[in-house]
Amino acid sequence: MNEIMIEGRGLKRYYQRGSETVKALDGVDIAIRAGEIVSILGPSGSGKTTLINLLSGLDAPTEGKLVIGGKPVAGLSEDQLVEVRRGMLGFVFQQFSLLPTLTVAENVELPLLFLGLRADPARTREILAAVGLSERAEHLPRELSGGQMQRVAIARALIAGPKILVADEPTGNLDKATGESIIALFKKLAAEEGLAILLTTHNTVFGAEADRAITLEDGRIVKEEMATM
Amino acid sequence: MTTQTRTDPFPLRRYVVLAVKNLRRRMVRTSLTAAGVALAVTVAVSLGGFMLGYRGAIDESIDMLGFQIMIMAKGCPYEAATMMLKGGTGLLYLPADVYEKVKEDKEIESITPIFVGVAQKQGSGIRDDGGENNFLIVSGIDVASYQVMKPWITFKKGQGFDGGRWFTPESRTEVVLGFEAAEYEQRKVGDTFYASITPAGTPNAVLHELKVVGILDRTGTQDDGTVFLPLDVTREYFGRPGQLTILGIKLKQFSGEKMREFETRWLKLPEVQVVGLQQVKSTLVGLVATAQTMIAAVAVIAILVAFIGVINTILMSVYERTAEIGIMKALGARRDSIFQLIWLETVMICFAGAVAGSGVAVIGSSVVERAIKAVADLGVSGSIVRITPAVIGYAVLGAVVLGFFAGLYPAWRASSMRPVEAIGKGN
Repeated sequence: MNEIMIEGRGLKRYYQRGSETVKALDGVDIAIRAGEIVSILGPSGSGKTTLINLLSGLDAPTEGKLVIGGKPVAGLSEDQLVEVRRGMLGFVFQQFSLLPTLTVAENVELPLLFLGLRADPARTREILAAVGLSERAEHLPRELSGGQMQRVAIARALIAGPKILVADEPTGNLDKATGESIIALFKKLAAEEGLAILLTTHNTVFGAEADRAITLEDGRIVKEEMATM
Repeated sequence: MTTQTRTDPFPLRRYVVLAVKNLRRRMVRTSLTAAGVALAVTVAVSLGGFMLGYRGAIDESIDMLGFQIMIMAKGCPYEAATMMLKGGTGLLYLPADVYEKVKEDKEIESITPIFVGVAQKQGSGIRDDGGENNFLIVSGIDVASYQVMKPWITFKKGQGFDGGRWFTPESRTEVVLGFEAAEYEQRKVGDTFYASITPAGTPNAVLHELKVVGILDRTGTQDDGTVFLPLDVTREYFGRPGQLTILGIKLKQFSGEKMREFETRWLKLPEVQVVGLQQVKSTLVGLVATAQTMIAAVAVIAILVAFIGVINTILMSVYERTAEIGIMKALGARRDSIFQLIWLETVMICFAGAVAGSGVAVIGSSVVERAIKAVADLGVSGSIVRITPAVIGYAVLGAVVLGFFAGLYPAWRASSMRPVEAIGKGN
């Protein structure tokens, strides 16, 4: 069995909305191993984004035990959480979130700036080749299609060599064919690079492509299915 | 795939590139904000150049006077200062015996008596000013002592000017013109020059026909606009025999102490004031101090407006980029990285504005100088706006410091954002 990259036990995340306590996540147990793709499914408001925020170290649980890359993160401050994320996690968002004035290559290299690492053009070319964008390095985001922008976002997530890739609705803004190509890329990365990939999706077809599909409702896991492949 | 391990020894350069690209995303807004800073810097640089230039012009004008101390009839110190540098019209005269007494002072190296009078130009010149600026400053001088005091004075040469010389002390019809006086009246050596002088105590002016025997080279002082006649002849023409307007004095050893001693000795004379060059300087500086304070107040207001404008622009930019900042944090940006980026953007706007503002101030300095001279006679000749590299350096430095402070709050706001909330707001 591969190494466990993320492990959460009894994860709870409560918010205070006026006098009301909102239980966004209410006791979730989950473990994600290296080389595994786990999809989180569920309707809007089911707690998908809250769970992914916790498991990626963007947020801390109200209660429960959470270990990311071997580091316990429960109760950590924002400054401490960023140290856990740095170099360990790569992120892909539904909106792509590329900087419009940076070229594709510059967008891909952006995390290196924040990690204090020097950009290596050969490494950037290698990553862009892996996502099928070798010819687009000097293009600006506005010159790319939605699928290409999402591939740039994936390349950006991979540039610092993370162990875990977190993708929040990565196919949400893409057509079916492009979405399929992105899922195929994830599978390749998990298989070849040993990346642990955690993704949320509304799309049950894409969700079913994962090694495990976890369905949430009202902040609880209601179903967990292994891949049928 | 290979992994990235080499650390970047110069990350600041890449932060600067990123900051520039961020600013270019809203070029109009960035340009307008920089223009606000540029305006403030233009005012500040022009003011600094004016303060520096005016003091320099005073120093030069006084140095070119040749004498360190002036004795004149008691009156307004402002008038004394301007008369010393520019000539004047509200003339008071020294008692006849003052020169004879003062010239015996053992501390004096040289002394020159000067009589200043105002003559009418009507009917005398080629130009007709329509009643405005229709007078001449006539200086009656003792050539020998005047030359000792101002050894740098030379005569203009060239066609129509060769052979220039001083008049003889007894000559009643010879005149020497300052550079500008000759240029204005379009006179050359050998031409006839008319001056209409009203002797004291008489109602009617007397027209004097004079021959130009010399035209002076430009000195950059009040001498350029002056018409020179022999001392005794001038006093006679003005009906004031034996009277003087100014005694110009150079001491053997000039210091504050010597000046005070000299002043103490001669203030005992009735109706006399002893004016030192330091006194003249402070008087002339005082003349424009109020105007400079007002301009400084405008500059401060412009700087404050620019300061608020910069904060507003950067804050708007931070709010617009909330999701982007959240994503940067998700990608591994620490609090200080975001702070540094936003702070750099602020400082760069201010730096760009400072460079542009300094450029405008340098290019427009001649316009500012003409405008100042048009609204006020500051009593000095030469350039009164001097924008030096030091003035520009201080202005740019000041603008960068402004950017440092203006960027603090937006940078703090941006760096304090929690990524999970920032990304959520952006979406």
